[in-house]
Amino acid sequence: QAKWDLPAAYPASNFHTENLEQFAKDVDKASGGKLKITVHANASLFKAPEIKRAVQGGQAQLGEILLVNFQNEWQIFGADGIPFLADSYDEAAKLWKAQKPVLDKKLGEQGMMVLYAVAWPPQGIYSKKPIASAADMKGLKWRAYSPATARIAELVGAQPVTVQAAELSQAMATGVVDSYMSSGSTGYDTKTYEHIKNWYDTQAWLPKNAVIVNKAAFNALDKPTQDALLKAAAEAETRGWAASKKANLEVLEKLKANGMQILQPSPQLKADMKKVGDTMLKEWLEKAGPEGQQLVDAYRKM
Amino acid sequence: MRRLLDFLYDACAWLAALAMVGVLAMVLLSIVSRQLGFHVPGTDAYAGYCMAAAGFLALAHTLKRNEHIRVTLLLGSLKGRARDGLEMWAMTAGVFLAGLFAWYSLRLAWVSRAINDVSTSNDATPLWIPQLAMALGTLVLLVAFIDEWVLQLQGRRVAASSEEALHNE
Amino acid sequence: MSDFGITALLILTLFLLLGSSIWIGLTLTGVAWIGMQLFSSRPAGDAMAVTVWGSSSSWTLTALPLFIWMGEILFRTKLSESMFRGLAPWVSRLPGRLLHTNVVGCTIFAAVSGSSAATCATIGKMTLPELARRGYPEEITIGSLAGAGTLGLLIPPSIIMIVYGVTADVSIARLFVAGILPGIVLAALFSGYLAAWALLNGHKVPVPDRVLSFAEKMHESRHLIPVVLLIAAVLGSIYSGLATATEAAAVGVVGSIVLSAVQGSLNWATFREALMGATRLYCMIALILAGAAFLTLAMGYIGLPRHLAEFVGSLKLSPFMLMVALSVFYIILGCFLDGISMVVLTMGVILPTVQAAGFDLVWFGIFIVIVVEMAQITPPVGFNLFVLQGMTGKEITWIARVTLPFFFLMCAMVLLLWFVPQLATWLPARM
Ligand code: NA
Ligand code: NA
Repeated sequence: QAKWDLPAAYPASNFHTENLEQFAKDVDKASGGKLKITVHANASLFKAPEIKRAVQGGQAQLGEILLVNFQNEWQIFGADGIPFLADSYDEAAKLWKAQKPVLDKKLGEQGMMVLYAVAWPPQGIYSKKPIASAADMKGLKWRAYSPATARIAELVGAQPVTVQAAELSQAMATGVVDSYMSSGSTGYDTKTYEHIKNWYDTQAWLPKNAVIVNKAAFNALDKPTQDALLKAAAEAETRGWAASKKANLEVLEKLKANGMQILQPSPQLKADMKKVGDTMLKEWLEKAGPEGQQLVDAYRKM
Repeated sequence: MRRLLDFLYDACAWLAALAMVGVLAMVLLSIVSRQLGFHVPGTDAYAGYCMAAAGFLALAHTLKRNEHIRVTLLLGSLKGRARDGLEMWAMTAGVFLAGLFAWYSLRLAWVSRAINDVSTSNDATPLWIPQLAMALGTLVLLVAFIDEWVLQLQGRRVAASSEEALHNE
Repeated sequence: MSDFGITALLILTLFLLLGSSIWIGLTLTGVAWIGMQLFSSRPAGDAMAVTVWGSSSSWTLTALPLFIWMGEILFRTKLSESMFRGLAPWVSRLPGRLLHTNVVGCTIFAAVSGSSAATCATIGKMTLPELARRGYPEEITIGSLAGAGTLGLLIPPSIIMIVYGVTADVSIARLFVAGILPGIVLAALFSGYLAAWALLNGHKVPVPDRVLSFAEKMHESRHLIPVVLLIAAVLGSIYSGLATATEAAAVGVVGSIVLSAVQGSLNWATFREALMGATRLYCMIALILAGAAFLTLAMGYIGLPRHLAEFVGSLKLSPFMLMVALSVFYIILGCFLDGISMVVLTMGVILPTVQAAGFDLVWFGIFIVIVVEMAQITPPVGFNLFVLQGMTGKEITWIARVTLPFFFLMCAMVLLLWFVPQLATWLPARM
């Protein structure tokens, strides 16, 4: 009997974490109790940036990571963070299909493999003042929490502001930040609706959480247990995507109930943001090299 | 040798103090940049690295000044050989645990470099660089513990009375 | 081995190592190491290094060294002295006289400092020598300081509220506001206890320096102006949107340097002393935090806090009994872990139970802050005790004993919060 630890960074109530718990239960049942996985939610074992390394080093047998977090290490990890490359659940699913073999190769070199990945709800723009075009975004105090969101700010002329998630709520209340880009669920979780009343449903990108496993740990399992794990993972992926769509709809309703206007971006804003996306894709391709080009080609062919 | 060691501890402590100033500078920079409308990516991460350096690099210096706290209830009630024995045990445990810290801190920086572990935040710093401060600080702490251990063995160790306590006498 | 057996063994090891005078930070490391080697199949060393690095370099804590530095600068200014002079005339008619400077001083300083240890250290540096010089008994002086120092967490800004707000998804600004009334009430409880103690032990309280007229008192109050300006700068920077709650610590450092320059006490020697003093004090705390981070990781692997929390959840208690059970649970946990670890380790398991019982999450946040405050003064791992040990050279057991009455006052505060929940919920509802 094996006992595995699964560090995850999001709270127990998040749909990703609930999915992980179900996954752990399924594995337990399908392996006949031979593989027991403990989910350590809420960054209680390792913090978000440490989880990949912990799995790689065998400090945890498997873990859940936000792929775009690791873009600094290798550009391909950030493919699902490029604005408007894949801007719906269907597109995101296709992108994942194109991304998975490349990721498996890279993670394989690092002694890991991907079990499954689930997309977050699509990213939109929260803004205190109404925006009809990119020109309206000039001078916004824009929370830049990743290289991509910082670059967007530069391209539209907004002022990138470094504020930690912990202080986002206070920063919005006092006007340190008056706009940022994230999913409906983040906006609900951080009570953004208390301070910001506009959310533009740009569906800019759908970042993914991936569950990765240490290969040595995986190889140490017997064949039936390995199969049970992979089967449960496949089910978790299907379940997770459905849960993500459902969570998105629910959370948008909740945002509305709390006074948030869920707005469709104007054609001008859409066109402007698309231009931002094109620039960033070009820059990304330069950094990602031929591997990146192949990935985008494969995705576009689907 | 004595002077070389003392210089090592003090030099590291000065670096730590410099890192403390670095924490302040980075946080101020993030406030000021927001007000003046320019952007320095990664100030938060750099503040964190400076904080780590401030904590680790001063470890040995603080030990030598006897300002790392411990429960000396039993130790204080003992005299003569019993007291020496207990001190020796605490020193030995200190050497062992500081050794663990130093070894795995060195390994941390080493592995970070080997697997190319990069900060996930806007600064994209290769993590082995700031981790060197932790490796160096814990290594010098180990040296200081061995130093104290040898002095204790030779019966030459004088525990500095903490300056902090003097403020309030 | 059963959870009970593991717990007993680890606690025994902890006491053994602490008792044999091994440095506290290293003791925590040692216990965590033994725990992981015996009760988990994981390689301990690499996990230790990753976690210790992560917690030591985490941006969330940068306010801690800055608040400590601020305290060291202020200690070398005339601020402590002048704050003491401004407060003393007002409290010298109360039973207990200048003892109240501890409570009032901590309450005021808590409004600029987010940490309990820094509050305790800064106010202690001003009151301990003054009170000792006038002949106040040190048990009550040190005890009330250790107790009142914890107000640093309850009165905003507060590091632990930031951590709770993040883990429980509760608005930090609301939590800050919610802490104000309970903070004042708890300070009043402390002062009330000091007054009662003084009435019962009248002969132990020294006579007042000199009784002043009201006009003279007002005149003496001018000494409070610098500290009021400093509070205005720090809180003003937060509420005007100049700085976030964490960054405000940097505003505090700059403010203290300015203050020290204006008062003429700033020179290279005092600046260097303050900086080196702050570096050492922070370094001492950092070693303990590193050990605590590793112990937290080991506990996470072994699963002890999780099992305990699940056990509490499985009891299906009435809300009141649940609150009592949680208090006992956190008090026990607080003996061995630091506040941040307590929150991070247990929230995931406790919150669903708490929400199911219908607790308001802002109210529960204040409850958590108070139990974390208790953890600051319970041995063997209590940061205020460590700070005071560093400052006075007294044994930690002695400090814990003289602080015990204040621990019970905090227990009373928890009960009060239960019966008058509006203390925590009334202000934020008006935001
Ligand atoms: Na405070
Ligand atoms: Na404690």
